[in-house]
Amino acid sequence: MSKRCLTTLLIVLAGLATLNAAGPDRSRSYTLALHDHGLLYSAATNAGIDKDVADELIRRSGCKVTVSLMARARIWQLIESGGLDFSLSGITDAERDKFAAFAWYFSDKFYLLVRKDTGIQNQADFEKKGRLQLGVIRSFRYSESANRLVDRLQEANRLSQAGGLEPLYQLLVQNQIQGMIIEPFDYPTLQEKEIREISTIVAFPDPPVPHGLIMSKKALPAPEQEKWRSLILDMRKDGTMLRIFEKYFKPDLAAALVNF
Amino acid sequence: MTSERNPIPVTRLLPWLVLVAMLAVTWGLWNHERQVSRKELHAQFEFALRDTVSRIEQGESAYEQMLRGLQALFATTDLTARDAVRGYVETLQLDANSSGIQELGVIRWVPTARKPHAPVIQSVPDLGSHREAPGRDAWTDPVRRRAMEKARDSGLPAISGKLGAAPAPGRDAAPGFVMYLPVYARGRALENLDQRRANLLGWVYASFDMNGFMASLYGKRAPGISLSLFDDVSPGDASLLFRAGTPAGDGAAPRGSALSAKEYMVLSGHTWTLCLGTEEAFEARFARSNDRVIAVIGICLSLSMALLVWYMIAGRAHALRLADAMTEQLRHMAQHDPLTGLPNRALFSDRVRQKLADASRRGSHVAMVFIDLDRFKQVNDSHGHAVGDLLLQQVAKRISESVRASDTAGRIGGDEFVVLIGDLSDADSALPIAEKIKLSVARPFRVNELEFAVSCSMGIAVYPGDGSDEATLTKSADQAMYRAKEAGRNCMKQAAVP
Repeated sequence: MSKRCLTTLLIVLAGLATLNAAGPDRSRSYTLALHDHGLLYSAATNAGIDKDVADELIRRSGCKVTVSLMARARIWQLIESGGLDFSLSGITDAERDKFAAFAWYFSDKFYLLVRKDTGIQNQADFEKKGRLQLGVIRSFRYSESANRLVDRLQEANRLSQAGGLEPLYQLLVQNQIQGMIIEPFDYPTLQEKEIREISTIVAFPDPPVPHGLIMSKKALPAPEQEKWRSLILDMRKDGTMLRIFEKYFKPDLAAALVNF
Repeated sequence: MTSERNPIPVTRLLPWLVLVAMLAVTWGLWNHERQVSRKELHAQFEFALRDTVSRIEQGESAYEQMLRGLQALFATTDLTARDAVRGYVETLQLDANSSGIQELGVIRWVPTARKPHAPVIQSVPDLGSHREAPGRDAWTDPVRRRAMEKARDSGLPAISGKLGAAPAPGRDAAPGFVMYLPVYARGRALENLDQRRANLLGWVYASFDMNGFMASLYGKRAPGISLSLFDDVSPGDASLLFRAGTPAGDGAAPRGSALSAKEYMVLSGHTWTLCLGTEEAFEARFARSNDRVIAVIGICLSLSMALLVWYMIAGRAHALRLADAMTEQLRHMAQHDPLTGLPNRALFSDRVRQKLADASRRGSHVAMVFIDLDRFKQVNDSHGHAVGDLLLQQVAKRISESVRASDTAGRIGGDEFVVLIGDLSDADSALPIAEKIKLSVARPFRVNELEFAVSCSMGIAVYPGDGSDEATLTKSADQAMYRAKEAGRNCMKQAAVP
């Protein structure tokens, strides 16, 4: 009897050890930064998709994670230096690939939100009309065509940079900028009467761009990155991610965003 | 009828082509340098913009940490704990690094149904004009209230819009702002908006003087950069928070400035518009003047190269003309008598062959007339060779003038001349011409004030009767001329007439 109990105890301990080895390293605490951006996170309400994803990720990992709010530019700077472990809803490019690893959990397209009175039909029109200013959030990158437009307008000194979305909407209403780049998380703001009446949406001719958990390569070794990536994958597989998105979007749009 | 236009020789265009090519290269280099210079200036300006944004964000973040300390204090003690703020400030030992801060304090939230209010219950120290008077209800001021509501709902720091300051003796009337952090009841859930609103006890706050805030930032403002900071997104006098450098009106770059930019910063949920512009000092420091150097050197080199090519081409043309002239002169010297300029024996032989061939083809006659001046040796002996030579020149001239343009007069010896007369219909047709020569020579000559009477003996041979080739014809004419000499000189004899 005692022999059987000992065997059972050993099996349970071994199982626990395996379980612990499969999860992220809990011997240290982590830092995660959110940025104020539409439905992803609203500092005014302390709620949003990224906040929900962060909460679920922290719960599943069992790790101590300090969550803070920062400007996106500061987030990328700290991810690169290794001062910050995680952020959310990031997209990659060749430069970011050097210092950040990603775990994708949704994919969406970028759109050009332009004032109706500009008569803009597509992104080329915007570039051609030399007097038009485009508003962007500092350090943000977008899909291929959108990045190309941003880079060209920056060379032509036609870019207005802001630390967040809110001032860009104000500038659009005041006609200080005539366009800005948005994603589906910004739809609720578009429902505001003032914005809806003056603006129209033009899609960039690019495929959807994957967004995901940003992990600092300096702060997290590759095997640890893989463990966090696995947690995100589990959240997608068991429908948790879809449920989070369904809190903020209609079911069909939520499914389109998460199933890519 | 079409007129043919002479094409312009490539050599004449070459200097212009070189000039255009060199100027094009100069323009290319100048333009490239300008682009590089412009990019360098842009990069420096962009760096200054990034640096300024970063300094302001860091400054705000440092003050936020200070306020979080006070917030943390009230997380462990009662909001109404007497002198808690004073103790905290004394522990901080605020120095020049915190010169922007004017006051730290606590506001209590009194959510009465009739009239909610938020009085200041503690504050220290009194460092400037943006002090919140004890007991003042911050809730009544819409600017402060908006920030307090934002802090309450988010649980995060929030800063107010621009607060004006009344001028006071010894104080600048600089604008300022207030930063708020909410204090909630301990141990209560704060997961959602309702919970945060329900559990609010009050706020800790820090008020700032804008000049002091900007002065306390780490790092140095980039030289030659004008800086203006405005509340919200609408630059203007009413929203101006701070200005350094050349006044820039509504935030646009100063007049004459090369670069300007606006950045809409979001600090603790509030927007500030940062306007940066370059002044001349910035451009003088970072702009490169290599483009002007390239332009001047390039134009000078282009002109020099074009001139050099023109000079080389002109020199070559001159040398070719000179060579042609010398060649012509040499050919003339090889075929003509140097004294009289008449064809010499070699050229005369060539003409004889041509005339004989022509006469043979056409069946005409050609006469060869040998002319020997009578007793010319005496002239040389009596008056010298110089006079003799001058006389020979005049004789040669008269013989040439006596024959047709198609005929050839030559000198084959000292005082011996020969005339070739072509296109004759018969042998006697040469006689009138020979007679004309004889009469012409017989007219007196005047050389150096001396008058000479010259006669000549002439022998005439006619092709084909007197010879079928140059040798036989020459021999016949020579023999006829000697017969004229033997006949007493000053006469002419025909070879065919014994």
